Amino acid sequence: MIKGIFEQLSESLLHLGEKQIITFHLGSLQLQFDKVAMIMSWIVMVLLVLLALYLRRALQQGIEDKPNRVQAALDALMDLLQGQLTSNFSSERLAHELFPFISTLFLFVLFSNWLGVIPGLSSPTQNLNVTMGLALMVFVVSQVLAMRAKGMKTYWKGFLEPVPFLLPLNIIGELSRPMSHAFRLFGNVLAGTILTTVVMAKFAPIVIPSILNMVFGLFFGAIQAFVFAILAVAYINVAVES
Amino acid sequence: MLQEAQAVASGISGADIALAAKYIAAGLCMGIGAIGPAIGEGMAAAHALDGMARQPEMQGALMRTMVLGQAITESTGIYSLLIAIVLLFVV
Repeated sequence: MIKGIFEQLSESLLHLGEKQIITFHLGSLQLQFDKVAMIMSWIVMVLLVLLALYLRRALQQGIEDKPNRVQAALDALMDLLQGQLTSNFSSERLAHELFPFISTLFLFVLFSNWLGVIPGLSSPTQNLNVTMGLALMVFVVSQVLAMRAKGMKTYWKGFLEPVPFLLPLNIIGELSRPMSHAFRLFGNVLAGTILTTVVMAKFAPIVIPSILNMVFGLFFGAIQAFVFAILAVAYINVAVES
Repeated sequence: MLQEAQAVASGISGADIALAAKYIAAGLCMGIGAIGPAIGEGMAAAHALDGMARQPEMQGALMRTMVLGQAITESTGIYSLLIAIVLLFVV
């Protein structure tokens, strides 16, 4: 029986990294979607919406009432998001404006990473397109906020400093940020998945993969989500200030 | 002796050599690429611990900055990991 499990798992190793692509034709335009990543992203979104609807019940309570469990959970979550993430912004105004964006980013990445722990499901963040989309979102937000904070003229002039000769280097420096931002999350999540799958298929199919899943999925997943959000904060800070 | 070696060598095709080179390259890439981030992250943790021992009230801020710095240091290791993955599964 154990041999059968091994064979089945070895079979799954062969399909590692295979993608199921759906193609839509819109006139001459060709749109391609990764089926797994899309379905998993939708699952994460549904989970987040359900969580929000559940936590919303805490808001119906009066301020004078004794806090119940839902309110305590909401308090803890808001405390974490405000105290650890958005308190790093350089100005109060930025922190106030970007709190929804940064917390959504954090919660989405956190739930995506944790989704990979459940057998049969996979993290959407182990697809480079998903992480690159998130990183590009942060990039656009940081550039727009930099334009607003510094004014158009100073913003474009910033690329020519300290000498105009360094223009290509400045542009590459700006563009490398979303790249490394996306690759970091993708690489970490993918490495955890590959390691767990290989150990499961080749060495020990029963006890050890659950420990590995715990370490890579839950612990590193939470740390990587935190790092992703805090790096977004840092990138926006740098873009607005410098 | 020489004939035996020739017989073995004639059984090895170019694809075999490419496969061997692929695995060796992936191993080297990961092994050498992990040295730098390991040293860098260790140094970050050591200095953060120094600071925490001196000023325990700064623990929260030090921890946050340490994790951020380690995440940035780690990116070179992640790049070599990606190249190793590409070598193993894609090329």
